[in-house]
Amino acid sequence: MAVEAKGMMRAMAGEAERAEYGDFARCVHCGLCLNHCPTYRLWGREADSPRGRIRQMFLVDSGEMAMDSTFVTHIDRCLDCRACETACPSGVEYGKLVELARGRIEKEYRRKGMARLGRDLFYRRLLPYPKRMAALGGLMRLVQQSGLQKMARSAGLLKLMRVDKRADLLPEIDRKFFSTETTRTFPARSARRARVAFFAGCVARMTFSALSEATIRVLRANGCEVVVPEGQWCCGALEVHAGYRDVAREMARRNFDVFLADEAGFDAIVTNAAGCGSTMKEYGLLFATDPEEHKRAKRFEGMLKDVTEFLDELGLTAPMRHVQMRATYQDSCHLLHGQKVREAPRRLIRAVEGVELVEMELSDQCCGSAGVYNVTQTETAMALLKRKMECVNATAAQTILTANPGCLLQLRAGAELAGKGQEVLHVVELLDRAIGPERP
Amino acid sequence: MNGSAEKLAQALAAIAGEANTSGDPHEIGKYAIHGVTPKALVRPANAEEIAEILRMCAAEKLGVVTRGAGTKIGMGGSPERYDVALVTTRLEQVHGYDPGDLTLSVEAGAHMADVSKLLGEHGQFLPLSVPYQKRATIGGTVASGVDSPLRQGYGSARDFLLGAEFVTGDGTRAKSGGRVVKNVAGYDLHKLFIGSLGTLGVLTKINFKTFPVAEADGGFLASFREETGAIDFVRRIAQSAVAPATLEILSPAMAALLGGQTDLGGMGMDSEGWRAASAGWAVIAGFGGSKKVLRRFETDLGGMASESGAAQAISLDGGTNRSVAERLREAIPLLLDASPATTVVRASVLPSRMGEIFAASRRSGEKHGIRVAIVARGVGIVYTAFLPETSEEKIFERLAAAASEVVTAAEAAQGFGWIPWCPDGLKRRALIWGSGRPDAALMRKLKLVFDPQAILSPGRFFGGI
Amino acid sequence: MLTKEEELRLYEYDGSVETGRPDCVVFPGNKSEVAEIARLVNRYAVPMVGRGAGTGLSGGALAREGGVQVVFSRMNRILAVDYENQRAVVEPGVVNLELSRAVARAGLQYAPDPSSQKSCTIGGNVSENAGGPHTLRYGVTTNHILGLEVVMPDGETYRIGGAAVDAPGYDLVGLFVGSEGTLGLVVEITAKLTRLPESVKTLLAVFETTDDATETVAALTARGITPAACEMMDGWTIRVVESWIHAGLPTDAGAILLIEVDGPKEAAEEQAEAVVETCRAHKAREVRTAKDEREREALWKARKNAFGAVGRVAPDCYVQDGVIPRTRLPETLRRIAEIGKRHGFEVGNIFHAGDGNLHPMLCFDHREPGTFERAMAAASEIIALCVEMGGSITGEHGVGMEKDRLMPLLFSEADLELMKRVRGALNPAGLLNPGKLFPASKSCGEIRAPAMGRGPNELGEGVRGVTQR
Repeated sequence: MAVEAKGMMRAMAGEAERAEYGDFARCVHCGLCLNHCPTYRLWGREADSPRGRIRQMFLVDSGEMAMDSTFVTHIDRCLDCRACETACPSGVEYGKLVELARGRIEKEYRRKGMARLGRDLFYRRLLPYPKRMAALGGLMRLVQQSGLQKMARSAGLLKLMRVDKRADLLPEIDRKFFSTETTRTFPARSARRARVAFFAGCVARMTFSALSEATIRVLRANGCEVVVPEGQWCCGALEVHAGYRDVAREMARRNFDVFLADEAGFDAIVTNAAGCGSTMKEYGLLFATDPEEHKRAKRFEGMLKDVTEFLDELGLTAPMRHVQMRATYQDSCHLLHGQKVREAPRRLIRAVEGVELVEMELSDQCCGSAGVYNVTQTETAMALLKRKMECVNATAAQTILTANPGCLLQLRAGAELAGKGQEVLHVVELLDRAIGPERP
Repeated sequence: MNGSAEKLAQALAAIAGEANTSGDPHEIGKYAIHGVTPKALVRPANAEEIAEILRMCAAEKLGVVTRGAGTKIGMGGSPERYDVALVTTRLEQVHGYDPGDLTLSVEAGAHMADVSKLLGEHGQFLPLSVPYQKRATIGGTVASGVDSPLRQGYGSARDFLLGAEFVTGDGTRAKSGGRVVKNVAGYDLHKLFIGSLGTLGVLTKINFKTFPVAEADGGFLASFREETGAIDFVRRIAQSAVAPATLEILSPAMAALLGGQTDLGGMGMDSEGWRAASAGWAVIAGFGGSKKVLRRFETDLGGMASESGAAQAISLDGGTNRSVAERLREAIPLLLDASPATTVVRASVLPSRMGEIFAASRRSGEKHGIRVAIVARGVGIVYTAFLPETSEEKIFERLAAAASEVVTAAEAAQGFGWIPWCPDGLKRRALIWGSGRPDAALMRKLKLVFDPQAILSPGRFFGGI
Repeated sequence: MLTKEEELRLYEYDGSVETGRPDCVVFPGNKSEVAEIARLVNRYAVPMVGRGAGTGLSGGALAREGGVQVVFSRMNRILAVDYENQRAVVEPGVVNLELSRAVARAGLQYAPDPSSQKSCTIGGNVSENAGGPHTLRYGVTTNHILGLEVVMPDGETYRIGGAAVDAPGYDLVGLFVGSEGTLGLVVEITAKLTRLPESVKTLLAVFETTDDATETVAALTARGITPAACEMMDGWTIRVVESWIHAGLPTDAGAILLIEVDGPKEAAEEQAEAVVETCRAHKAREVRTAKDEREREALWKARKNAFGAVGRVAPDCYVQDGVIPRTRLPETLRRIAEIGKRHGFEVGNIFHAGDGNLHPMLCFDHREPGTFERAMAAASEIIALCVEMGGSITGEHGVGMEKDRLMPLLFSEADLELMKRVRGALNPAGLLNPGKLFPASKSCGEIRAPAMGRGPNELGEGVRGVTQR
């Protein structure tokens, strides 16, 4: 109670939310996390390790260290992949700590002009607004389709703008946005076993329509009535990761209104994006100070399921065809480390006859995608991707399976740049292929 | 006896008592090393007396050579100064034996045989199946660093020596390690004493980890026409689940020696079996475990032996295995008795490179016209014995050349070579400590710490120590 | 190279409760850089301390007296693996588990397996002579190290030991392993690899009381059964660990033993039977055998993460490390509980029972006045008890900064003086890892480094030059 009161006062005073002493003290600096941290593995520096970052956050929080550019750099470099949480024997909630720290940075630290303007523009002026995002998407599609991108690249323009690598990592914009499909109800294709709400996401709507459609098909084939409720938008994950907690809260509230409506009667809220799912399963952390909102957040958390987790629990009933494939599975960090879901996607993959699942070394290490990390920290993301592809290539798999749109993009770029042209699929896309086209 | 010797004997007697001191030329003659005779001998009763003796010797800069039963005193160089023979055989008590903890603390002068008997009563043993087992002392075994066939399965003394008490060259009593099986407090100084030939101090008490005797034991013998077959067999074993306690390779000459010239010398094995073995290169494995495990090992070894092209392969029952093991244990004394001027090179190399040492040994033997016998351990240790027919001076040059060639071959194979046993006359001619290494500089620094006056076995050790 | 205050503060801790801040941190990329750094440091007479991953539990890698911290995280290459002869040559920064992982496909492993093996480096293991659960059968680090390349404090580099066994001369490798970085900086390691066992059986024996469990350990040892590992966890610890790790441990038990036997299939089976029999004879209420690799991993996960899990119940947890003869286990544990009670602590025990290597844990909150002092007092009493039982003050964590004052419990002044002289012979100016291992004495006059910023700027520049090349 005392804790909450303190937090409330800070919030009222417009101060950033902060971690408590106990959150830091759980870290006994044993160092078991180090080798699980992608950036520590790259550079071997304490400052870019979970233990070192916790120490820095603690020192800044306790006022012993200034919130300067060094601190911000090391916190920015964190992928927030949370592999350290899986490794931590003491249960340090690293994701929460780093997200709170980023919240403080956004409130209290003045980034350099362009960076600040760019971040504010994206996180405050674009991402929260579906129409603006759609317009941006349309523009990007125009660039991609018109050949302007190719021209620009050949002219060295992209390189000049230091975005040539990034352009590969940016999603290709779909012709028909998934948003046209919202507000619809799709009946189950066999006896109804559950009524689920599909969380369609924001960026994914413009770039992963096919994946969303596949997800709906797979759910329906397995006896789910699928509703795509109107008025839903972004989960707020990117904002939480970037430290824009106030914006994220707004997004969450909108989702509460849409998905928790009394008459909706959903058995579950399903997402195919592990990154979104992980944040939505932790909405409670965003509303630590208001008991009423916290309760709603907790209710939302309880209903939210990753699609692999949901299907695994429900049990696959749709008939599936033989699919000849040698595949390897890359754990999506926010599914494995964020949501602790490891076996469900693997069980689904094994359920498809003909698929030979070959585990790669270090499948629990981030591919470098990490939300927008591959755009903000391109060089590091590319270095991680290169290492990832070495592990993938060693399996001789023709297909890389994963469970999050961001990872799909990153791995597709990897397959092109450092791989052997492997096909990259979401686990539900594999199931969709096995189920086959819908019969009328 | 000259005056100073008499005075020395008196001084020693004042510490250890008349009965335990001698300056009698006849008696001290027996303590000569490589023809160098001490002025006096003393048998102290305990660590305090040893400390007092060493303090006195350090003050007078008298050379001291420590010995137990003296069975391995021939190893190493000739002492540059040798005034006092310090005999540890009166320190023979078992201070602590905790069978339930599998630990033993024993004085350095205790005899291996007595300790083995005591441990045997509790179904335990010390994996130091070293030569001269019947007479050797624990202290001499550690200080000489001799290894045993059991190192295949149990490692060498450094793997089960837990701690030691000792007196350094300035008469300080000190210790390191402890008596428990796991311990990282302080420097492991006791490890430095293994194979140090008494140049760092006098061991007084030694603590070991002991081991339970296996429920049953057995052996396996395979013989091969060519050494390559034997090496291949050993390689296969290393890469299998079979975990032998001993794994020895014998050259044809060695196998013949071990079996005795005419018959089996009580080996407990039928003569045909042994003759078959000694016709070529033999590999002998010994192992322990339950009956079921032994059967499994025998089957696996049989399969591997035939894959390696063994000419003969037989299993040895427990009794035979033990008598074979006893003979193998005494291989060094057997070799030393086999020629008036036996010279033994000890090469340690990676197991895959043992063949190079075998070949070099044979080449040197042929080139210099000296008979060669080889016994090697699976972990990569090769004892090459040159067995000339005569000990006349004229043979020395060839002998020194042959032995040094094998030492060089070991070094060329990225291993180590030295000559632990050779006639006195060869000590200064052959590379008895190999061609030297830069880290000898570090060793000399350590020697100075333990023995600032350099009174302990001066000149007997590696790097001129 | 790092010299900024806020960066240095990230090297002032390790896995222990101690702290020590360096004045400068360098990350050499190869052994010649280490040698150059050593020469510079020697010229300017400032302390120099090696560090791997900083997972040590006795402050061995902390710059107690400041100076240059040499961090080996960049030197993390496996240089060579000789599968036939079962050897690996590695740089000191190679992570313990990564070596085992790299050779697992060939059926080999690097046997020493400290609980921190996922992060700790082999260089650090060598310095501390690290142990681990499976050392009961396979031995500790020193039993697996054949050769080292070391940079001495004056910058000279030596190879000691080698790929082959039994280098003639003194066993320098035996001296260096476990010398806690006070004699030289290890820059290359030749290690033995061990065949993975053909068969492994992991058993969990549940007891009503700790006495029954400790008596079982003594009985196993006396019967000549040498498991690969034999770990014990008391009831208090079981409940803490289970609430976090969910490995299916019985939370109502007084104690459990986690016993692993391995070897050829037949041997593992027979040993497992013998273990079950012995446990039953000592009132085990249940003996479970892990059915598959997953169950086995779950049991080990509970064990390997136990210390961290305990960190959840209190802000501070002091893990002790002492050794006693295995025959004294029941008595010692009873007396440790008494000591704890007297100081107002519940003492948790999770330890390598098969080796008699105790790890009593004291949990507290240092912000409560007086508790830190009481915890330290209790810990000291426990260690004194281990010595009284005929044991040692540390089985695997090392002396470091934590137990330097306790060394006289075990060693006489003459013993310590000799060890100090050994240090002095190889590390004459005392620049390498000063202030460790031995109780501080006035005669020592240990050197305190001038802060890098103020004093020897040339040194700072020099070191920077070495690593930027």
